[in-house]
Order: sequence, then C-alpha cells, then structure tokens
Amino acid sequence: MSGQQINPDDALYVDMFIAKNSQTMTFIRSSYSAILGLAAGTLGLTNWSGFIFYFVGSAFLSVLIFALKTKGSPSLYFRQPLDVFTEGVLGGLLSYILFWTLLYGIIHIYD
Amino acid sequence: MGAWTVIQERQAMLLDPAIRDWVLLPIMVVMILVGVVRHHITVLLNGTPKKADLKSARETKGLQRGAVLRAYGSHLPEHAFEARKAYITDAFEKGTYLKDPKGGNKPKGNVMQDPAYVEGMMDGMKKNMMNIVPQTVIMGWINFFFSGFVLIKLPFPLTIRFKSMLQRGIETQDMDVTWVSSLSWYFLNLFGLQSVFTLLLGSGHAADAMRDMQAMSTMGMGAATNPQMGPTGQPQDMHKIFLSEKENIELTEHEWGLENVEIRLLVKYGKLPRSILEDQKKAKAVGNASSSSSSSAASSHVASSTSPSQATMAAAAAAASASKKKGRRQA
Repeated sequence: MSGQQINPDDALYVDMFIAKNSQTMTFIRSSYSAILGLAAGTLGLTNWSGFIFYFVGSAFLSVLIFALKTKGSPSLYFRQPLDVFTEGVLGGLLSYILFWTLLYGIIHIYD
Repeated sequence: MGAWTVIQERQAMLLDPAIRDWVLLPIMVVMILVGVVRHHITVLLNGTPKKADLKSARETKGLQRGAVLRAYGSHLPEHAFEARKAYITDAFEKGTYLKDPKGGNKPKGNVMQDPAYVEGMMDGMKKNMMNIVPQTVIMGWINFFFSGFVLIKLPFPLTIRFKSMLQRGIETQDMDVTWVSSLSWYFLNLFGLQSVFTLLLGSGHAADAMRDMQAMSTMGMGAATNPQMGPTGQPQDMHKIFLSEKENIELTEHEWGLENVEIRLLVKYGKLPRSILEDQKKAKAVGNASSSSSSSAASSHVASSTSPSQATMAAAAAAASASKKKGRRQA
C-alpha cells in the first residue's frame, strides 16, 4: 500500500462486491469439484486421466462462467479478468481428490 | 518370479466390506457432522460482535481516513488535497485521534490489568479451543479404534515419500504407497470436506480446516479481530502507527485525475492521435514540470495541431470546474 503508485481505476471496484463475487466463485467451484470427483470415481479413472479430467472439467466450467455469468466481460466483476479462469481451481483440487478416492474406493476396490 | 507374485498379491489386496460400512463411511460422516455442529457453536459463541467504544472507533477511522486520502487523492483538486494533507499530517503528528492523546507510551507492565486486552485474549482462546478440541477428539477416536486399518486406495500413484504421510500407523515396508490408512483418511477428509461445508453451511462458514492448522500454530492468540492487537497479541503503540501513516501521506504526490481530461476525451473518441498522450508522458518524465505548466502546454499543443470541436472542450472544462466546486464543498 505505502508509497507505491495507486491505480485510479481501483476506485471503480467496490470491495464488498468484489468479495461477494469471489465468494460466489468459490461456492461454484467447490460444489463443482466435489461433483466432478464423484463422476471421476464412478468412471473409475486412474492416474493422469483423473487429473486431466479435473482440469478439463474446470476449464469447461470457467468457459461457462465466462460466457454465461460475466457475459464475456469479466473485468466488470473481477479486478483481474483472468481470475475467472484461475480462482479456486487449486482449492477445489483437494475436494476433488477426496471424492474421487471415495467413489473409486467404494465402487472399484470394495466389490 | 517371487517379486511378481508379491506385486500380484499387492494388487489383489481385498478389503472387507465391513471396513467400508463401519470405518470408512462413519469417519466421513462424523467429520461432516462435527464440522456442522462446530459451525453452529461458533455462531452461538460469537453472538453479536462487541461494540467498539467511541474513542477507539475514532482512532481506527482516523487511520483509515489517511489511507483513503492516499488511495483516492486523485479525485480531489490540488488545493483540496493539499489542505487535507496538511490537516491530517498535523493531526497524526500531534496524536489528535489517539484514544489517549496525552498518554504517550503505555507502560508495558500493566497490560494484563487492561480489561479490554484480557477480554480479547479470552475471546481468542475460546475460539481456538473450539477449533482444536473437536479435531483432537476425532483424531483420538480414530487412533484408539481404527489404528492400523487400511481403508481405501488412492486412484493415482505417488512416490515413496508420501508413504509416511498416507500410511500413518501402519508399519509395513512393502505395501504400495497408494493404500491409505485410517489416520490418513482423516487428513484427506480434513482438507477435502471444504466443499461439503460450503454446500451445507454457505460460504464464510466456521468449519474451516485451514483455520485449525493456524489455531494449532498460534495457540491462545487469536485476537486478530481487535485492531489494537498486533499479530503477536501485544497491544501496539498506536502513535507509532499514526506516525508511519503520516510519513506515507507526506510521500504521496498529488496527481489530479482530471488532468488533460479534454485531450484524453478527444483521443478516446478518435479526434486526436493517440501519440499525443505518449508525448505528454515523455515530456512529463523529462521535464518533471509542474502540473499546471504541462497542462497549459498540452492545451496549446491541441490548439495548434488540430481544431477540436469547441463544444467538447467547453464540456470538459465545465466538468473540471464542477468537480473543483465539489471538492471545495467537501473541504
């Protein structure tokens, strides 16, 4: 904060709404990653295919959010427009692994 | 040949379905339920947030005012900015906004006698206990009943380094790393159940595993909500904070947000070439001239190079003067 150049465009963003938006993003992402994990476990994906499934699925979700939720202009809703594609992707990975492991174990390890 | 059969055996390890029904799923369900209960207890314990008294509210708001001036100073005209700067630096220097303007440094010895400090510490302690106790109890439960159980297999391979992490409580050298012990299943749940809690309790819930980890590392000192407490839990010398904020404000250069606005407007609508703005930037960087002289030079540049529509110029000037008036009224 101190001393550095302050971008006058920052005034365009209301912190409360930015926080709300990123909360919504976290909500969507975490629900989605759990569901994706259930799908991957049911399909019995292993090794890299599971991780690729997750990242492809997340990219698909990002495109959906980009197209439907932000109507193609994410800079209206986020400070960094790229946040739409990156925010919460790695945070959801842990949930994904948990549910992937759970369903994979229940369906394919125990008979 | 022998190694091959070992591998075969490893792959063909069978888990009793009873383990699934009585260990794997119960651990998960219990963790979810404990998380939900803890969320509600935390909400109950917090109740209504404690109201700050007038003096301390004034203290924090005074500090915030300095930060706001630094961040949004470009919206004010030069003279208004300077007036605020002079006023705020003076007030910060003298400690006008301090809770106790004449007190100066508090003697460190009687910190424990300050009821607000003790209360804040108890609050943090209570919250931390709320976080640590349930996790310890669940871990004890799993250790007591299920230690040494192999519960599940990860669907992806890991290096041997993860063996100690994933197979806690199982001392088997040759077992594949991907098999998960009961305690490690607990850790997987601890970190992976975030999304479930988000779904059940909404975002901003109080069943956060990451916070547990923090709580364990900073036991007893969770009073980060109190602005007077530093990260170490010691009350900070507010006057020092005010002085450093004052220095920051003194370093802030005023940059008038509407400077050259008429040129920027014309450039935006394509009446002027974009290169004009870059020229100005260069000129500013080289000459480091005062804002008034550079803007007058720029406007003469406009007049000489093209003939901009008079109406736009007039509109821009009107906007500038209007905002100047507004700034004065606020002062």
